[in-house]
Amino acid sequence: MNSIALLSAAKDGILTGSIYALMATGLTLIFGVMDIINLAQGILVILGAYLSYALQVHWHIDLFVGLLITIPTMFIVGIVIERLFMSRLKGPEKTAMSLLVTYAVSLLIEGSLNMIFSVNDVQLQGWYVPKAFAIGQIHFGYVYVAGFILAGVLLSALYFMLYRTRFGVSVRASLADQTSAALVGIDVRRVSTITFGIGVAVTAAGGMIYGATNSFNASSSYDLISRLLTIIVLGGMGSLGGAMVAGVSMVFIGDMVGVIWSPVWSSMSYFVVLVIVLLLRPQGLFGKQLTRAA
Amino acid sequence: MKFSKAKYLRAAAATSIAGASLLTLAGTSGASSGGLAKGAPVTIGISLSLSGDFSADGLAFQQGYKLWAADVNKTGGLLGHKVVLDIVSDASSPTQVVTNYQDLISVKHVNLTFGPFSSLLSLPAAKAVARYGYALVEGAGGAPSVFQAGLHNLFDVSLPVANDLVPFSKWITSLPKAKRPTTVAYVTSNDPFTEPQVTTIEPVLAKAGIKTVYNHVFPAEVTDYTSIADAVAASKPQVVVLGSVDVPTVSSFMQAFEQSGFSPKVFIATGGPDQGTTFLKAVGAKNANGMMVPNAWYGGSSNPLSKKMVAEYVKLYGGTASQVSSDVVEAYSVGEVVAQAVKATGGFDNKKIIQYLHSKVTLQSAQGPVRFNALGMNTTPTAFTFQWQGTKFVQVNPAGDPNSVPVLFPKPAWGK
Amino acid sequence: MLQKKNLWWVLAIAVFAMYPIVVTNPLFTTIAVFTTIYMACATSWNMFSGYSGYIALGSAVFYGSGAYTMALLSLHLHMAAGSDMFWLVPVGGLVAMVFAVPFGWIALRVRRHTFVVITIAVFFIFQLSAINFGFTGGTSGLALPFITWGYQNFNTPFYYVGLSLVVFATALSAAVRRSRFGLQLLAIRDDEDRAMGLGVKVSAVKITGFTLSAFTVGAAGALYAMFVGQIYPQFVFDPMFDVSIALMTFLGGLGTLTGPLLGALVLEASQQYLTVTFSNSSLYLILFGALFLIVIMFMPQGVVVYLRDRVTRRAEREREAVAANDLATADAVAPLDVAVGGAH
Repeated sequence: MNSIALLSAAKDGILTGSIYALMATGLTLIFGVMDIINLAQGILVILGAYLSYALQVHWHIDLFVGLLITIPTMFIVGIVIERLFMSRLKGPEKTAMSLLVTYAVSLLIEGSLNMIFSVNDVQLQGWYVPKAFAIGQIHFGYVYVAGFILAGVLLSALYFMLYRTRFGVSVRASLADQTSAALVGIDVRRVSTITFGIGVAVTAAGGMIYGATNSFNASSSYDLISRLLTIIVLGGMGSLGGAMVAGVSMVFIGDMVGVIWSPVWSSMSYFVVLVIVLLLRPQGLFGKQLTRAA
Repeated sequence: MKFSKAKYLRAAAATSIAGASLLTLAGTSGASSGGLAKGAPVTIGISLSLSGDFSADGLAFQQGYKLWAADVNKTGGLLGHKVVLDIVSDASSPTQVVTNYQDLISVKHVNLTFGPFSSLLSLPAAKAVARYGYALVEGAGGAPSVFQAGLHNLFDVSLPVANDLVPFSKWITSLPKAKRPTTVAYVTSNDPFTEPQVTTIEPVLAKAGIKTVYNHVFPAEVTDYTSIADAVAASKPQVVVLGSVDVPTVSSFMQAFEQSGFSPKVFIATGGPDQGTTFLKAVGAKNANGMMVPNAWYGGSSNPLSKKMVAEYVKLYGGTASQVSSDVVEAYSVGEVVAQAVKATGGFDNKKIIQYLHSKVTLQSAQGPVRFNALGMNTTPTAFTFQWQGTKFVQVNPAGDPNSVPVLFPKPAWGK
Repeated sequence: MLQKKNLWWVLAIAVFAMYPIVVTNPLFTTIAVFTTIYMACATSWNMFSGYSGYIALGSAVFYGSGAYTMALLSLHLHMAAGSDMFWLVPVGGLVAMVFAVPFGWIALRVRRHTFVVITIAVFFIFQLSAINFGFTGGTSGLALPFITWGYQNFNTPFYYVGLSLVVFATALSAAVRRSRFGLQLLAIRDDEDRAMGLGVKVSAVKITGFTLSAFTVGAAGALYAMFVGQIYPQFVFDPMFDVSIALMTFLGGLGTLTGPLLGALVLEASQQYLTVTFSNSSLYLILFGALFLIVIMFMPQGVVVYLRDRVTRRAEREREAVAANDLATADAVAPLDVAVGGAH
């Protein structure tokens, strides 16, 4: 172990972590507004990656330009899923049922992706993918830096929308308390649908960066969803800031453990961190105060 | 830890030796019928991972088995019986593999069984098949743990993996002191196939004065290798030994090394570069230049059986000799070995086939000669090291072998 | 009424006990062994998650602990390969309970939604430990003593042990539900704050329920290890195991006694059989997902409750047609099901 290795790991943790933060923000937003745990978020990220892949292979559209198509497409996919399935979930078992429904949806998507794209791993290509620039002895991959900037831009846009627009007020009101939001005349149904669409739309960007930095196939989604769930719980379910902080710190901790100790313990480390944090703060780092019977 | 491991292995060995004798008894009463009606086809049952974690290899295996069956049927089948393959999918799950072989034997009444892909599935499969007295001949379960289970009916036609890197280590240590690399990094996936290979050569290189600057195992389920690759690059090794089982792992490391401006003098990966076209497509032909991989076989092998198979393969699926995956030949060799056993025993009686395969007889396959020891391990093959030179996949070790060409050393920089 | 019900149970057990005598083909008895394993696990899972409303997705921790108990003990004790190893099945269950106490203590401190994710996290800690520690054999797994019974009778003893686990889990689940302890679990599910206000020691009750449910799952894991003869960390600590037993229970009917039995019977048996028959697994994923969505959308309380509701409703209609307001149907719809049914 040397200082270069440590600095490199820190850089990797922050750059990669920002992408996870982006994907997790979509997940936690959906939960906060709708009380739905979207287990399909992992496979939707992969779907987003495959969309970029299809655009690239068939129409030679650059990955970043392709986002102009894939982000709206994933938004619509989210709207469709919400209208078809999520809107029907009601009652006290809603959250538990949402696990099942979104799992079933993810099976459908996984099976379809396997049939369309086969199970062979693919990776997104671009001239900038293998390129990097160096500051001192630390090398920064273009894709990772671009991903970091992209995550920053999209998260800022999300914040702007939530805190500077009328629609954002409705979303935040629904985040705080659905019943009261409905009482003051907010159309919670519409807010839910659009929120789900936005929560899914971020997977297009996350998926593109994920696909450019990793080989993937449909079953990569299982690794993704388990990380994303851990992140939103650590951050506090429903907390946007929490998802961001937790996303970056999880990957950061994992990468540091990998360098200092051994890579075999890096994935273990964030589950252990999660358990310890929850022992001290059951509501997660930035979660709302514990309400008993949720 | 070591102590307890040895203990349970001994226990396992003891019980299985006792079991082996019982097994032969079971074989006599088993469903393994030697006689087959004239003109009836001979059916062979195979469970392969056509989806799930091992599916890419499972599909290549399917190609190999099918290619063999087509070749045999062209020359009149086995003892005049047309070969029919019954391939079912196990979705890479051991539970399903157990169910599948019982289905193949007890419901579909197949005459012979061939092995699944991966060491992880061979053992549960062999144990289930053993109850029926069937032989399970397989081509991809060469991890030491498979043989330690001491099953009497399991035969692996391929090279046992533990010694795969030996010719490579011989080559490195034979280099004159001035040219010999001085540092090495071992980075290996947590997998029963890769770890034994790396642990075999580490002390050999250390003894030759090559300093280990990085030695870590990474979890097999990891998808993001960047931080691991960065740590390897930061330790600046001249030699990188990567314990990998598939193409995505190798290509991820190569890309991450390229991004961090690091190109080792020697880069060998235990699996991935042997996957022909799949590998070239994933990493780009230019980056492949200089990449090394140990194996028992390659598409350019001068073995006549191999040449025949490669020609058939190219006719059926297109491409060139360098692009044939080693999975294909591993599956194909299973068929060849069983065919010779069937001919020698004059029928499809599994008990006789098991006895014959245990009789220390030397058989021929596209991967070279095959002779099984008591554990069902193929003891004859020597490992080779192969290297991508340009877009050609050539044999470079062992050094004395007439088919070996000089190693491209040091490995050219990425994209050169 | 109650006696008639018991008669049905006896009849069902008799039918199940006859199965390997009538059906001798090893394929179908193999599938039956796996099916009993899942029936026992789903019933046990439901006894905690179904009754308390705390959905756990970490039961594979118990399953894997049981499997490793079977493997490690049979190897270290140099047990002869054979029926003696069945004694380790309950031991696997007990070891699972030992793990369940700290697991429950950590995981049950949080709200339900978070609880789901914590159970997943603890699950991964166990899986990764099994991969990384030496005594588990790492990724090479462990090969158990090789049982050399012939194929004709190989499955039968496993089947009966599996069936006993099912009977045990069902009896325990029924007993819990009728007990004061069971009512406390149900109260927690309906309104945890109120239950606490009424003097229920919620933490103790939850941890006890969680620990109790671990036993059968651990025992089933031990049985699985012995049956398959070879275990690997990723297959006994399998996330799909958790999803499967939860789905089975939901399909059958969460919180009901027969639901998980029926769900596991239908799902596990059909999944094994369908994979054997239709080998194209991707298409299978799509069909499976679609079937699921249909059931969840149209029978959100599970098949058992759906059917019972229909029967009850028809009976009501008939009775209304005949005469008056006989509310005796309350017996057919337990209080619990009314609570779920309220979502209609």
